[in-house]
Amino acid sequence: MPIALRDLQSAFVAHLAGTSPSSLEEWVIGDSISAEARLRVHRHHVRDSLAAALASTFPTAKALVGEEFFQCMASAFADEVLPAQPVLAEYGGSFAGFVGTYEPARGLPYLADMARLDWALNTAFHAPVTPRLSAADLSAVETEQLPAKGLLLAPGTALLRSAYPIDRIWAAAQPGADTGTVDLEEGTTCLLVLRRPDDAGFIRLSESEVAFVSALVEGRPLEQAAEAAFAAEPGFELSAVFARFLTVGAFAALR
Amino acid sequence: MALAGIGLRAPHLQQIASEKPATGFLEIHAENYLAPSPALEIVDRLRADYAFSIHAVGLSLGSVDGIDEAHLARVAALVKRLQPVWVSDHLAWSVHGGRYFNDLLPLPYTEEALDVVVRNVERVQEAFGRQISLENPSCYLAFAHSTMSEPVFLAEVARRSGCGLLVDANNIHVTAHNLRLDPNDWLEELPGDSITEYHLAGHAVNDADGVPILIDDHGSKVAEAVWMLYAEMVARFGMRPTLVEWDTDLPDLSTLLAEADRANRLA
Repeated sequence: MPIALRDLQSAFVAHLAGTSPSSLEEWVIGDSISAEARLRVHRHHVRDSLAAALASTFPTAKALVGEEFFQCMASAFADEVLPAQPVLAEYGGSFAGFVGTYEPARGLPYLADMARLDWALNTAFHAPVTPRLSAADLSAVETEQLPAKGLLLAPGTALLRSAYPIDRIWAAAQPGADTGTVDLEEGTTCLLVLRRPDDAGFIRLSESEVAFVSALVEGRPLEQAAEAAFAAEPGFELSAVFARFLTVGAFAALR
Repeated sequence: MALAGIGLRAPHLQQIASEKPATGFLEIHAENYLAPSPALEIVDRLRADYAFSIHAVGLSLGSVDGIDEAHLARVAALVKRLQPVWVSDHLAWSVHGGRYFNDLLPLPYTEEALDVVVRNVERVQEAFGRQISLENPSCYLAFAHSTMSEPVFLAEVARRSGCGLLVDANNIHVTAHNLRLDPNDWLEELPGDSITEYHLAGHAVNDADGVPILIDDHGSKVAEAVWMLYAEMVARFGMRPTLVEWDTDLPDLSTLLAEADRANRLA
């Protein structure tokens, strides 16, 4: 009896995972190139092509460690985690966490955060373009009602906090950037990642801006968000910060 | 008439959008445009200037478990949105047990596999409300229990499902070399009337057990032997819209357009 297709595909998948190469080999024709070597073409392709997909989703992490190191790290991840579906831009959501535990990368403590930034930029790039809150939307609301309103962030907008100056590291890792030095002791950095009209990008936030956005993300009304911002930095200027967020299109709507 | 088109790849997107070079059509990989992005918005605008071909790589038409309905719905939505002239995927499988392997994995050419592929192609054509074309894969191995040749298998899928055939000259060359077949025998068994498109691409030569094995990497110019095979296909079956594929080590747009021009001159 020839092997049933279901059993063949299961055996092939086990071969790709490196768990049972032998059960499949008897069904593959070998000649001057053995069945095992022929099967290996597929195992290598799966691993290499997934590593290449991760390299395209995590360009900054790759630039920081170089092609060869990244290929090893990405292959190790692909051995553990396969895509759940064929859209490769959606593959790698747990890669930053993996990078944080990847022993050979221990000397680069900021690498996992750079991978988080790459992922946030990728997510923002693939976020839908939806209407953004404008100054005109605000003027349509009675002034005394505004403090009780909440604000929804636009799709793809994400807050990212790191113990390292990830914006400076990101800039230094861009193609053609000056190879200046970045002081890792600069302290905590907070970024707001955004879908922009033609790409994705980020702005750096002050502590009060972070407190403001965090409160809004938690669903608290504008009044409480502003109080949290004042508590973080007494110099917080609500109207200036609000104007800044409107300009970059951070908010989708009032609620 | 310019019948040859090129693959629209991210690094060329801005240049094509601003320069609008003459080419027969533009091809995109479905899976790169299923999530929203600025790139999809550019493609939307380019529809006014170019005919489009949507080439899927992840429908997994050979999966014994059938087509993943969630993925199918996303590709169907893209087909509806872009209204391409051609839609295609491969005679292969890439999904099993809820995992995607990002490779065109080989099928045994058996009656059982034929039933599976026909059923899956029919499901996809039903979801898209249109014909799709099935592409011959590059093969690195053959199964001992196959009972028919690849072209006979393709012909039978086309006959039963009504799908078209996308014939990739580079894939025939790679398969024939790796499996010790004669490309002309391969062409001999193919039903010309079912052929809707041709593909051309470059391949790499790797080493397996000290013996050369050809790898379909789409990373270089079309090989001379593949141009000869393409000329043979055109002589035998006539002209078809032809795509020059180049996906890795992408060259300047002008180099890619020159390859497509060569296909037009040959045709």
